[in-house]
Amino acid sequence: MTKTLEIVWIILVGLTIFAYLLGHLHYINSFFVAILLVTTFIKVQLVLDYFMELKNVTGKYRWIPSIWLTIVISLIAVAYYLPA
Amino acid sequence: MPDNAVKKELYPPGDFGVWIIIYVELITFGLFFIGYAFSRRANLEMFNHSQLMLETTSGFINTLFLVTSSYFVVKAVTSIQNLTHDRREEFNKKASKWLLLAMLFGAGFLVNKIFEFSHMFGEGLSLSTNKFFMFYFMLTGFHFMHVLLGTVILFNIFQRTRIHGYTVEDHKGIISGAAYWHMVDFLWIILFPLVYIIR
Repeated sequence: MTKTLEIVWIILVGLTIFAYLLGHLHYINSFFVAILLVTTFIKVQLVLDYFMELKNVTGKYRWIPSIWLTIVISLIAVAYYLPA
Repeated sequence: MPDNAVKKELYPPGDFGVWIIIYVELITFGLFFIGYAFSRRANLEMFNHSQLMLETTSGFINTLFLVTSSYFVVKAVTSIQNLTHDRREEFNKKASKWLLLAMLFGAGFLVNKIFEFSHMFGEGLSLSTNKFFMFYFMLTGFHFMHVLLGTVILFNIFQRTRIHGYTVEDHKGIISGAAYWHMVDFLWIILFPLVYIIR
């Protein structure tokens, strides 16, 4: 359990550094935005599952924040990718 | 049921009241995020141009502050969950050490954000500059208030651990405060790439 928390923290920090470098080096295009959205989804889901311990919860209370996350990230993607 | 299977809980950890607050916050911030994304779509050039004035490094450092602070809070909760009656003092001490670190990182976020805001105001930027900065100041300002409240909550939990106030049977308070703090963390995890990076 203790190791799991450390691994989650390392992943969160690693993905944050990745996002920062993309922005800092101006490597942002449609492909990298998709990657950023996916990694953001993963980061939030990790916080929900391991930091907030929702992985040990069953039923609707396990899924409400994840469904919210899916809707928010999907609509951000729609706003970004939908042709004008 | 296999021996290693973890028994699933019916309700999320902590006081259910805090989860009601979390659900309301999710709706509020969710609408803000989606509103930002569609406004950006309608004003693409202006949003991309304005975004260049943001301090990405400051946003990045703040993400690290919150993610790490969140980790420290989990360590504090784990310390309390693992305490035994004969080692109650030791584990409360451990938890208060983690909470102190979490508060320091929360304060680091706040100080860094105040510097960022004062720099932006110094440049003459404000809510009324354009739609991008309206969203920027509303979103980050509203989130700032949440970090401030979260830090106060952490301080209260910290005070209680210092007097060995939590037991194995009664530690809902620390779990509820932790849940709020993690929410503040993951909202920023979405806000940072959305406002500072994606263009």
